[in-house]
Amino acid sequence: MTEIKNIINGCLKGDRRDQELLYRRYAARLYAVCLQYSGNDEEARDVLQEGFIKIYENLVHYKYEGSFDGWVRRIMVNTALEKYRSKHNLYRVDDIDQIPEPNAEPDNEDYAGLEARDLMEIIRELPPRYRIVFNLFAIEGYSHKEISDMMSISEGTSKSNLSRARVILQRRVGSYTGLKKKLING
Amino acid sequence: MVDRGANIDVVFRNGLKDYEVLPPADVWDKIRPAIRKSHKPVIILRAAAMIAVIISLSFLAYKWSTNLSASLGSLSFAINPESENPGALVPSSGIYRDAATPYVAMQDQQKPVPDAGMDIPIQTAYDNQVSAVLNKIEPENGPSFRGTNFRNKNGIIPLEKSFTRQYTASLYLPEVVSEIPQKTEGNRWTIAALVSPTYYSGFNSDHNALTSLLVSKEQPIVSYTGGVAFAYKINKRLSVQSGVYYSSLGNELSGISSFAGFEPYDRTKGDHNFEVLTTNGTVYTSNSDIFLIDKISAARISTRYTSDVFDPDKANLKYLDNSLTQNFSYLELPFFVKYKLVDKTLGFNLVGGLSSNFLVNNAVYSSLNGGKYLIGKTEGVDAITFSSSLGMGMEYSLGKNLSLNLEPTFRYYLNPVTGTEGLRVHPYSFGIFSGLSYKF
Repeated sequence: MTEIKNIINGCLKGDRRDQELLYRRYAARLYAVCLQYSGNDEEARDVLQEGFIKIYENLVHYKYEGSFDGWVRRIMVNTALEKYRSKHNLYRVDDIDQIPEPNAEPDNEDYAGLEARDLMEIIRELPPRYRIVFNLFAIEGYSHKEISDMMSISEGTSKSNLSRARVILQRRVGSYTGLKKKLING
Repeated sequence: MVDRGANIDVVFRNGLKDYEVLPPADVWDKIRPAIRKSHKPVIILRAAAMIAVIISLSFLAYKWSTNLSASLGSLSFAINPESENPGALVPSSGIYRDAATPYVAMQDQQKPVPDAGMDIPIQTAYDNQVSAVLNKIEPENGPSFRGTNFRNKNGIIPLEKSFTRQYTASLYLPEVVSEIPQKTEGNRWTIAALVSPTYYSGFNSDHNALTSLLVSKEQPIVSYTGGVAFAYKINKRLSVQSGVYYSSLGNELSGISSFAGFEPYDRTKGDHNFEVLTTNGTVYTSNSDIFLIDKISAARISTRYTSDVFDPDKANLKYLDNSLTQNFSYLELPFFVKYKLVDKTLGFNLVGGLSSNFLVNNAVYSSLNGGKYLIGKTEGVDAITFSSSLGMGMEYSLGKNLSLNLEPTFRYYLNPVTGTEGLRVHPYSFGIFSGLSYKF
């Protein structure tokens, strides 16, 4: 905590070395968050860039209440949400019926075989709104009420989007692990 | 279904918990120049507030010490005549100070008057001041009170000059001297040259997500005001003041990166390429060589050239800055009233009034190495605005006519700025005017 405090103080004084230190320390972790919320790499890169600028600009308001990791993550998630909101008219919600049924329902063994990289790939294939709702609910732990406020949608829509996101994810996990097994078994 | 749903939530939550991916190397290169170096306006505001507090405290301390010494002075004066002349009683009042009724009379005739020849010590320095009083109460063509006798059926009181001088001086001089209109007679006009660094900001209302974003990304720039003021003294304490001031103020729009060299890619000749939403109105670009991109939020800029249509990095445009400067200049015609609280070597006064502000310059620009690139101007800004001011001035006399002035002033703009739908901004500014004034 003392080390990060020193880095924060350095950043507040405009110390370039501390600014870079802060970036190097959190960039990889936060870029994963950006990828998780964004549809493509370019968008994730923009979110990371804009999110970090916000982090530096708002460091002066950080009161050392709660973890700094959580604080920077929240800024990054909010930046991703802003990006989503600015483009939401361009996004369409895919019809769930277009997603192929898996050969079999995934079981615990299938889940255990999945690596973080696989999960990331699967989650990024979700339609944007389903992806955002799923991330906010399942990963960040927000309630449907909070999500409805953040995304300017109704609670019912949030619940419905989550439910559909889960169905899609299960189908995709099933297809993904089925394909993986096929490849491994020849 | 619920269990399966909850299960898949846990799988993704745990699986992605510590996941890290190294970002592309160029991201830091883009972040680095966009980081603001410091928060100068906040520092300036704090410094200004500190100075205002110090001045206020100094004023209170000075006022308190002045009152204390005045009380002590009047106490010793009341004791002195009787202690030196135990038989002589003093009248409760004496010289009427109203110039329209220029006579000297004794109101309480029951009280014995000291003999004309009674020797009451008078400080030599008072002689001239007493003469000045006498000159004032004797109109040029009116009757002279020197050497004449006042009618009094119970006894003639000879108003000898020597007595008048002694009596008046010893009993009434402190009060009378303070009323000697030597300043109001001679120095009714004042001319002053004043300049002030100014902190400019605004009170915002009617917030929504967009306006909150606009407000949070606009930082007031260090502004200044300067000009010439004329004041006319109505009486000892009251003056009216006017003049001409030039003020330059504005905002820094952070997070908007600007690039030069866009001209060859501009396919919409003759029309503006970018519209930037600000709290003061919409900025329309007039310079077709400029490309703008918002690094904070896409909501502020409207353009055909969005990031998915045009990439300034790929086109190798010249990067200028990560913020825009929105500048407004005004010519100000004030009408102020000044009330003097303390009229000493170090004087204090209250200044307040109204000003008409005429917009003379409206520009938005980007900077590079001290040079300015014009971007365009802000539409919808009122050509004339009105502001109210309140300040507390400190005036230190450097000589008979010359004074040094320091005047912390708060200014509130009466016209709300409604440049963006859903947002009303009431601008205000705080400045510390300093300069020299000359009385004539």
